Amino acid sequence: MCKGMEVKICLIGMGNVGTSFLKLLKEKRENIVDKFNFTTKLVAIFEHDGALINSNGIDIDNLLRDYSNLRKNQYWKSNVKAQDLISKLEIDICIETTPTNPDTGEPGLTHILEALSNNIDVISSNKAPFYLQYDKIKNLADKMGCLVKFEATVASGVPALSIKHNLIGNTISRIRAILTGTSNYILSRMTAEGVSFSVALKEAQELGYAETDPILDINGYDAAGKLVILSNELLGWSKSIEDVNIKGITEITPQALDLAKLDGYVIKHLAIAENDILLVEPRLIKRDSPLNVQGTLNIIELQTKYAGSIIILGKGAGGFEAGAAILNDLISIVKERERINRKRS
Amino acid sequence: MIYLEVKLPDIPGSLIELIRPVSLHGGNIYGVLHHHDKKVKNMIPVDIWFELSEELIQISLENIKKDLIEKNIQITKISVGSKNKILTFILTGHVFDTDITDTIKRLDAKNIKVLELHAKFTEVDEISSVIMKVEFPEVMTKIELVNEIEKICEEKKLFLIRS
Repeated sequence: MCKGMEVKICLIGMGNVGTSFLKLLKEKRENIVDKFNFTTKLVAIFEHDGALINSNGIDIDNLLRDYSNLRKNQYWKSNVKAQDLISKLEIDICIETTPTNPDTGEPGLTHILEALSNNIDVISSNKAPFYLQYDKIKNLADKMGCLVKFEATVASGVPALSIKHNLIGNTISRIRAILTGTSNYILSRMTAEGVSFSVALKEAQELGYAETDPILDINGYDAAGKLVILSNELLGWSKSIEDVNIKGITEITPQALDLAKLDGYVIKHLAIAENDILLVEPRLIKRDSPLNVQGTLNIIELQTKYAGSIIILGKGAGGFEAGAAILNDLISIVKERERINRKRS
Repeated sequence: MIYLEVKLPDIPGSLIELIRPVSLHGGNIYGVLHHHDKKVKNMIPVDIWFELSEELIQISLENIKKDLIEKNIQITKISVGSKNKILTFILTGHVFDTDITDTIKRLDAKNIKVLELHAKFTEVDEISSVIMKVEFPEVMTKIELVNEIEKICEEKKLFLIRS
């Protein structure tokens, strides 16, 4: 797929994540050439109402100087859709970062399937296609001999999925995690200050930690989606979001948190994969548990057969965090393609 | 609960060598007893008892045993779960309006004994919360116990938060 050392990419969705990725790509351009011996050529950027297409390569430096003027660029084409043009463009890797419809996975799902059908490797930061249609995507990728990576879908820049490559000699028996910064922030504030759920939520919204419509975070659906991806990737399961028993945190009261403290506990919104069961629910955990992280942090604990508990912790959201995960996936795919090509020759 | 009896050399640091693998593999240590009075040939019998996650008990215990053997720590006895098990949980909702005594009696009928109960109230009409510590029989799994509590919660529209 990679022709020489020039990799042709397209970006679908130039929101916060897509833009952050391009900024990182620009910043690390020389480093990528020096360390990994390849350059990238961005041949298309798709938005919901059109696309910027230039087969000679879009000037990223120029674009990033004022990307609000995307639609005034001479190469802009209105009313074209990614799914109609992916097959017509010469692309090695398609990077999908459009906003997700949590119930259908669209339009990301269609973009991903279309790219794979056309023999294009895929990187995505979209959760929904993977927690809804994991098997379909993976099977198609296998059938077409394509690579598909989606590190940014779980805990953003935290290497929650790629850690599996470092644990191939081990066995993971259980995952326990906090995968939603919003609900962790709310519970942390309620515990520390004794404020009500609604006050803590309002504070989270004012600080930009919670969406204007936070329902997917506080009802556990967002964490459930990430748990599905984690368990499928790390435990080799084949689950979708319908398989998760989900409870949110709206029923948690300051009184319940006070009672938990009496016995040395705190309440955390945990995502658990164990014994073929997936759960997202508020749980009592000991105050000195490593899972008792504060604020918007995400944490993932992998219980392993041969190395005990392994914990990864970090910021689970943010444009640059996701952008860095995408860049990591990009480098991984190019290296893997090189290895495959070497093997073939 | 896991009860482990070992023999440790009477030298500084040997207790740490015992505790570290137990802790590393998820053991929540409840107690350690050092039998200095029973020292023989500079070896001291030590009892340690700890809890392991029920679902991982076999794997974790095997790992602990393996680590201790590698450290040349002599294991003289291991016994698993000779006592009833304990679970702490919180119920929120109209816990008292839905008859807390009835809740306790129904648990008791399933051989689930309430050891402790603490409550927090706000207003009479508002929801309240209780934290309960229950002891359940060795033969009952944690999942079975939770299912029993959830049956009551579903009927009484209470919200369960368990350990």
